[in-house]
Amino acid sequence: MSIEHFLDNSISSWMAGEGKHSDIVMSTRIRLARNLNGYRFPLAFTEDEAHKIDQSVSATLLDASDELQMKFSSIHIKDVSELSRQVLVEKHLISPKLANSPMTGSVLLSDDESVSVMVNEEDHIRIQCLFPGLQVQEAYDQADELDRVLDKELPYAFDEQFGYLTSCPTNTGTGLRASVMMHLPALTMTKQMNRIVTIISRLGMVVRGIYGEGSEALGNVYQVSNQTTLGKSEEDILADLQSITEQIIQKEREARDALLKHSANTLEDRLYRSLGTLSFARIMATDEAARCLSDVRLGIDMGLIEDIDVSILNECMVFMQPGFLQKYAGTSLNTSERDMFRAKLLRERLQKEEKQKAKGEESE
Amino acid sequence: MICENCKQRPAKVTVTQVHNGEHLERHYCEVCANSLHPFYVEYKQDPLSLHQLLSNWFSQTEQQPMQQKQQKNMIVCDECGWSIQRFLDEGKFGCANCYTSFRPQLPNVFKRLHNGNTTHIGKAPGALGEKIALKKRIDSIRSQMKEAIDTESFEEAAKLRDEVRDLESQLSTGGDRTDVN
Repeated sequence: MSIEHFLDNSISSWMAGEGKHSDIVMSTRIRLARNLNGYRFPLAFTEDEAHKIDQSVSATLLDASDELQMKFSSIHIKDVSELSRQVLVEKHLISPKLANSPMTGSVLLSDDESVSVMVNEEDHIRIQCLFPGLQVQEAYDQADELDRVLDKELPYAFDEQFGYLTSCPTNTGTGLRASVMMHLPALTMTKQMNRIVTIISRLGMVVRGIYGEGSEALGNVYQVSNQTTLGKSEEDILADLQSITEQIIQKEREARDALLKHSANTLEDRLYRSLGTLSFARIMATDEAARCLSDVRLGIDMGLIEDIDVSILNECMVFMQPGFLQKYAGTSLNTSERDMFRAKLLRERLQKEEKQKAKGEESE
Repeated sequence: MICENCKQRPAKVTVTQVHNGEHLERHYCEVCANSLHPFYVEYKQDPLSLHQLLSNWFSQTEQQPMQQKQQKNMIVCDECGWSIQRFLDEGKFGCANCYTSFRPQLPNVFKRLHNGNTTHIGKAPGALGEKIALKKRIDSIRSQMKEAIDTESFEEAAKLRDEVRDLESQLSTGGDRTDVN
């Protein structure tokens, strides 16, 4: 499959699937970090080593497509334009580190983009599996299957004392990072996030914003993940994430109920104002757009706003990023041009919803 | 009551401000309350970088004489040529062999990063991994066996016991299995 397939749509086809608690949990991600014996880590290796690793990892995965019942497209990062790399980063299919690497590296993507294997990022191999909603075990099983296939053919760097050896000491041990992406507008509005962040960090987990630069939680989308990878088994890491996520879901639901109970009118007004802004504004900076999209999505989830598809948040959060905007515009845009083009795309996206609604009414 | 800010609309929202230990009550209409005290707070926290964390730790605990400290920092990995100082500066290892070269120092680093843990628990690759998986399977069958005995399904329990014996013999021969799948 050509790379265009992965660049054209802001929404990956795996996102269309249904997962548990998908009104709050947008997706579950599992990442395994692995390295091969006999080669230095990417920070210290030579181009010759990079090339050999890329070849053997890519070949192993491509050969195993029958066994895995999964077709991979192999994309060499060096063959891809800078803008296309940025788009892949904005879809979270590759990391900025891989996009900017001067050495040979690749990403192997499954057709539905739920599986991505990065070669020669910070580690030789990064297996990543994405599932919609809360599906921690399902996503892990998928990653584990890929790990098993690679392990059969390639010699992993492993130490009895320290486990899987990784470039960064924060990944040593299981090399497992399990995370859930959550939309938590009610907890944010009711100012409970800081407290939750503190409690979670005491439990060996981390909460951070997922979109935007730094730790700002654009669109009230947070990522909760395990921090500890050493001295804790895979099962325990997954079980802890599952249980913490369920508790946060519970808190978010309570906060949503409280908002409805105590300030239903103010809330409805605010959510509809955001819908109005998205539908009519001519200039939209990223943070305002993210805030409005989060509001509209909350309105949909709470049944206050009807006839708009829930995918609006996932989809628009991706396509309103600079790389995607410029890909759609077909030209490079400066910041203020981007803000205008972003507003235009968001308006068009909402008009599309309107048309579909009108069509539905006609046929009734 | 009229809104203290616009002095037009009726006040519906009470905001309590704490200033120098004094509690002040303000009464606003919904419009002014929204503009003066926005609903929305952003989560901001500067993450402490790993590199910072590692060097902070190193400077804090290293109170030995200078000479000794320098000697310690001179340990070099013979595979990639990185010194332990470089590892601490970058916050990254140069290669898998660094773990062997710096082994005595690492438990202290890991303790701080992984909640006090210094030893891996969990999955392992290759033959070692198979062995661990086998042990896990034996444990789970054993607990099934216990359950079977508790519910007096002895026939079932005997079957499970034979299964455990089978698996245990595989384990003692080093996990040599004819059926690789």
